[in-house]
Amino acid sequence: MSVRISEYATRSREAIRDRPEVRTAVTGATVAFDEKRRRAYGEVDADSWRRWAEGVKNHLLTHLDDYLAEAEAQLEANGADVHWARDADEARQIVLALAARHSARSVVKGKSMLTEEVELNPALERAGIEVYETDLGEYILQLLDEPPSHIVGPAIHKTLEQVQHLFADRLETDPGGDPDELARAARDVLRDAFINADMGITGGNFLVAETGTVALIENEGNIRLTTSLPRVHVALVGIEKLLPRMSDLAGFLQLTARAATGQPIGCFVSLVQGPASAPGDDGPEEVHVVLVDNGRTDVLLHEHAWEALRCVRCGACLNTCPVYRQTGGHAYGWVYSGPIGSVLDPGLLGLHEAMPLPFASSLCGACFDACPVRIPIPELLLSWREEAQQKGLTPWKERAALAGLATAATRPPLYRAAARIGTRLGATRAARKLPMLSDWSNDRDLPRPSPHTFRQLWRQGIK
Amino acid sequence: MKVALFVTCLADHYFAEAAADAVRLLRHLGCEVTFPDAQTCCGQPAYNAGMSREAVRMADHTMEVFADCEAVVLPSGSCATMVKKFYPRLMEEADRAVQAAALADRTFELAEFIMRRLGVTRLGDGLAGRRVALHQGCHALRELRLETEPAVLLEGAGAEVVPWEAAEECCGFGGLFSVKMTDVSAALADRKLDSLPRVDWVVSGDGGCILQLDGRGRARGDGVEFVHLATALWRGVDGWAGEAMAERDSGGRHGRSNGQAGRRLE
Amino acid sequence: MSGSATRDRPESRGDLGGARARILARVTRATATRGKLPHPGRLETPPAPDPATPPAPTTTFVKRFTSQCGEVATPDPDRSPRDWLTSFINGLGDEVNAIAIGADVPARLQPHPPDMPPADAGTAGGESPGQSRHAPAVAGPRNSPQPLHHAVPPEHAGVGISLAWGAVAETGSLILPSTGTRAVQLLPPVHIIWVPAGRVFARLEDALLELRAELPAGVGLHSGPSKSADIGQTVVTGVHGPGRCIAVLES
Repeated sequence: MSVRISEYATRSREAIRDRPEVRTAVTGATVAFDEKRRRAYGEVDADSWRRWAEGVKNHLLTHLDDYLAEAEAQLEANGADVHWARDADEARQIVLALAARHSARSVVKGKSMLTEEVELNPALERAGIEVYETDLGEYILQLLDEPPSHIVGPAIHKTLEQVQHLFADRLETDPGGDPDELARAARDVLRDAFINADMGITGGNFLVAETGTVALIENEGNIRLTTSLPRVHVALVGIEKLLPRMSDLAGFLQLTARAATGQPIGCFVSLVQGPASAPGDDGPEEVHVVLVDNGRTDVLLHEHAWEALRCVRCGACLNTCPVYRQTGGHAYGWVYSGPIGSVLDPGLLGLHEAMPLPFASSLCGACFDACPVRIPIPELLLSWREEAQQKGLTPWKERAALAGLATAATRPPLYRAAARIGTRLGATRAARKLPMLSDWSNDRDLPRPSPHTFRQLWRQGIK
Repeated sequence: MKVALFVTCLADHYFAEAAADAVRLLRHLGCEVTFPDAQTCCGQPAYNAGMSREAVRMADHTMEVFADCEAVVLPSGSCATMVKKFYPRLMEEADRAVQAAALADRTFELAEFIMRRLGVTRLGDGLAGRRVALHQGCHALRELRLETEPAVLLEGAGAEVVPWEAAEECCGFGGLFSVKMTDVSAALADRKLDSLPRVDWVVSGDGGCILQLDGRGRARGDGVEFVHLATALWRGVDGWAGEAMAERDSGGRHGRSNGQAGRRLE
Repeated sequence: MSGSATRDRPESRGDLGGARARILARVTRATATRGKLPHPGRLETPPAPDPATPPAPTTTFVKRFTSQCGEVATPDPDRSPRDWLTSFINGLGDEVNAIAIGADVPARLQPHPPDMPPADAGTAGGESPGQSRHAPAVAGPRNSPQPLHHAVPPEHAGVGISLAWGAVAETGSLILPSTGTRAVQLLPPVHIIWVPAGRVFARLEDALLELRAELPAGVGLHSGPSKSADIGQTVVTGVHGPGRCIAVLES
């Protein structure tokens, strides 16, 4: 997916003004997800669980080289093949080579943000391979040629009416078909795809170093099918997705499901160790795990941003974010949107590429409370903002104004005079022509100052 | 107890009567209130913009102004958070973490001070019959964890705090955010206002949130009446006595009641 | 384990232009600048509401599994599992016309073949040819070492029958190993899973730690039927996997 982050201001405005149905659909879905998450956190000692998960991931990230080596050794002992990709191009090359080796003509895919990140589908299609996204939401978006707008619910920005229209057009369903009928129509198409596919491609929620287990969470069963029916299974896994031990996986499977959808666990969890070997196992003959860096070591090397690598891609921060709720994910302009996108994208792409995302937040802090691995998103946003100011990536007028404020604030008489003039001026028509205040007054009435300042009241004596 | 009032920029200029109500309330509760005249801005605008050098300068100034005070009270959850939570973080790098932590321990948002420091939960019954919606500023809610305090005080004074679907959602102010991302910011305010139940007042302990919601509400013609928490709590003590109350500045009461409000100020 | 990470492994099959060494070198550089943080140990899941009499794992399993739209059936103790299952399947309705059976399901837990109705149905079976309306055809697994019945492949079966390795109370999950037949676990619209007696674990961690010793190539945790809310936020079942997931607890 191409990077369009710099267009955030215009794309968020367009989303809000021109596509009100997006806002309605996204707000409705995220409020519901967030409610479920709160309820599910309430059923357990969520605070201890989150601290534990933070600790496990911190331990992992400070021993990552050892665990990567252990995971690789275990996978190979299980009969799986391990590949390493420094960037998106290498990841694509590895998958394309595997597809060529197996003369793959048809591929089924499980939902994977990493394959969006490395733009795998277009590469496969250019090689003449038919690609089926099999998650229902992803399938809808594939028909529409749109990227996912949410980590967990890729099509939450689409209304039932839009899907009815799309499926009536493409799958010849009844234009008034209910979700059951529509899902059945998609199932019929995809069922054939599963049975005929030469290769299944997935991401990986976790990779357990101790056992070489790729763990995948889902609700539909499409990932179970993708990892079971085709002859070859390829899993693309970000290097930060490891977990040290099997016992850690037990906690993370539950915590991630509670954070993402409020479930005690995903309806289906696939634990993939390697190719089928036992008699009676009808699973894949080959399993390939591609360990992908693509900017993750940059994030790991960053003084502050490394904490964002604890992310388990549950989407809880998106669901609870009041900013995300207004626009949905597309406005953010890249694969990872919402609060986590705003701290991860600058690390993965470089801050310059990710401007102005660190500023696309009111710093309300709801994301931190929701995050199952306690990523301090507001603090990370602030540190990216600081870096942006230091690198001069913000408007100079803004920097000058704040420097002026600091100078005035250390000189009380100057500050009092400036504040009083500024307040009074801000309430006049002239304010509509001032930078910043004119932006304010586009959507809001100007603030009304008190007739007397508090200082005046204090001097007069408060009774 | 001797209490220094840190009035904050917005309260000084836009909510002056609310700040005066905070003084009345503190005196009523037996505190001696002082007002250090050299106080300016806490530095949050610079801090939130990522200009930490500038924020440190302002924090230094504020720490000096309030150095000898027994307790510092702010009629703002956001500015209180700046001093209590962000100064220690900010000053760690500037090598003045100890002083910052000392000030943090003595600094309180108004409702926090009344309940956690003074241990007072009942103020009077002046809000009897009043239906209010409570908008908690995000910092008060998620940094200071004042999850119950303001509602307990309002209810203790007789108000009915009405459930509000978006009660805990951000109003979209966020300082610089409201002018840098103005469309999204306004959409956040719309979400709050669209989901607002029928109430007499919307009460908030943060002037910034009131400016945002009231500014948007007036632009939409909503006619919702906003009241600063300090004013609401003082009315809890003082009730409605005195004609002078209705004549007070727009700082205490923003917006015009257009009949949506069930009961007007006498 | 330590020190092995950055060791050169030129023979590594998946090493594209030295990617492995370069990635690991950067990771090592990053971890060297940061203190090594300890592992926090085991996650203590909260005790049951009344610790004095914690509910039996089976009770919790039933509660959790059914709350996720899973169904639980209890065999009739007075009948053989085969007889009971055959009647149970017949009771599912006419649309169930073919059965697929996992490779690891023992004969005693399999329904009677179509030409062999339940012993207690009155006909001492084995002789009546053809397919009776109420006696389903049975499909064996693709790679089954001893194909029992092969009327249809799993993708055409109405019911799949599997044997769970175990079940988990706290998450309401069935643990299905790939030594069974994956297609049987996934393709038929109705999935019936035998849970052997005494194999309900209280905690997921306990189950996974025991499973670790004999980990098969693939494992599926199934906690209810296939679900999706991707269309208009409305929950539909049976999207790709089974629409009904029925756990049978052997006593």
